[in-house]
Amino acid sequence: MDQFESFEDGLTALLPRLRRFAHALSRNPADADDLTQAAVERALRSQAQWVRGTRLDSWLYRIMRNLWIDTVRSRGRREDLHAPAEEAEAIGQDPRSAIEASIDLGRAMAAMQRLPDEQREIVALIIIEGFGYRECSEILGLPIGTVSSRLVRGRTALLQMMGNPDGE
Amino acid sequence: MVNDETFFAWLDGDLDAGEAARVEAEVAADPRLSAMAAEHRAMQVRLKGAFDTVIAAPMPERLAAAARTPQQAEVIDFAEARKKRDRAWPSVAQWSAMAATLAIGVLIGTLAPQARQASPVEVQGGKIYAASALNEALSTQLASAPRGDVLIGVTYRDQSGAVCRSFTDPSSSGLACREGKGWRVRGLFAAPEGQSGSYRMAAGMDPNLATLVDSTMAGEPFDAAQEKAARDKGWR
Repeated sequence: MDQFESFEDGLTALLPRLRRFAHALSRNPADADDLTQAAVERALRSQAQWVRGTRLDSWLYRIMRNLWIDTVRSRGRREDLHAPAEEAEAIGQDPRSAIEASIDLGRAMAAMQRLPDEQREIVALIIIEGFGYRECSEILGLPIGTVSSRLVRGRTALLQMMGNPDGE
Repeated sequence: MVNDETFFAWLDGDLDAGEAARVEAEVAADPRLSAMAAEHRAMQVRLKGAFDTVIAAPMPERLAAAARTPQQAEVIDFAEARKKRDRAWPSVAQWSAMAATLAIGVLIGTLAPQARQASPVEVQGGKIYAASALNEALSTQLASAPRGDVLIGVTYRDQSGAVCRSFTDPSSSGLACREGKGWRVRGLFAAPEGQSGSYRMAAGMDPNLATLVDSTMAGEPFDAAQEKAARDKGWR
């Protein structure tokens, strides 16, 4: 992708989207910004590995997703011992959420957090970031059939959590 | 009856035109499916709308600054890199130690065609391919049976399914992946001064090459039988 003057220009232009993806994956905005910063730093360190002519955005999303997985795994081992109370409280059980026409970012993040990691990353890439199924499967290194079946489950769960503003 | 996967692929505009039209007609004729489509579209608009506020929000200065701050190229030992996937960043001390061993890397796209006899690479249409003895070695040689100046290291498939092989010759080491009937060079790293190829093989893989191998490998490296089978099938 030669649409950017330099690697740094491309990275800067894609930064808001990367930050949005980080919010869709992370538990809270502070974690999301830490993830964004770590991904940016790793991208700059590894820029020689990006192959010119291939999509810079897919490459950057892959870096962020792999960093996120690393964090989730290392945290998972620590937190297996005791359930995270903070997360339990953050999950919006308020029935009013179902009748609001728009939801705020915090509630959207809480809903995403209730999805299993392997569904959340796919919902984030396809529904929020707008990638096609094939691009998503390439970013995640998964067969396309796995992407579409996890997407069905993630979406169905989100619809139940977030309800329908117009009433059922 | 349209299944869930196909229904959502239609909703996401991921079907080809013919199939999309078929699903569209089915949804239009089925009130339950029409309602489901409307519900999911509304949910997506709300979900995406919530996250789009991140795009509209001012960028924190620390993130904008991070994107403009050059970083030292990543240098990680191959075996270490595969082990440490779950670990955090190296400490400053580890980092300095690794940086001190940094070999000079000559990377894809920056290699100038050099006036050397029998250059191991040639440039075609802006891409670098293995030539002469290097091409011969990549095409025919097995890691277990070295001959000539070029030694083959690991053979594996990359994420796109292409066969890739690392190699070492007296002046450099690198990685080449099968493309058509040739070997496209994905990375080429100059040998440190005064080290012969065999010495370097004993000393381990160039760290830049190790990082490149690690970042492109899908699955495990070929064993001897897989390597031979791949050669017999023309590296497809």
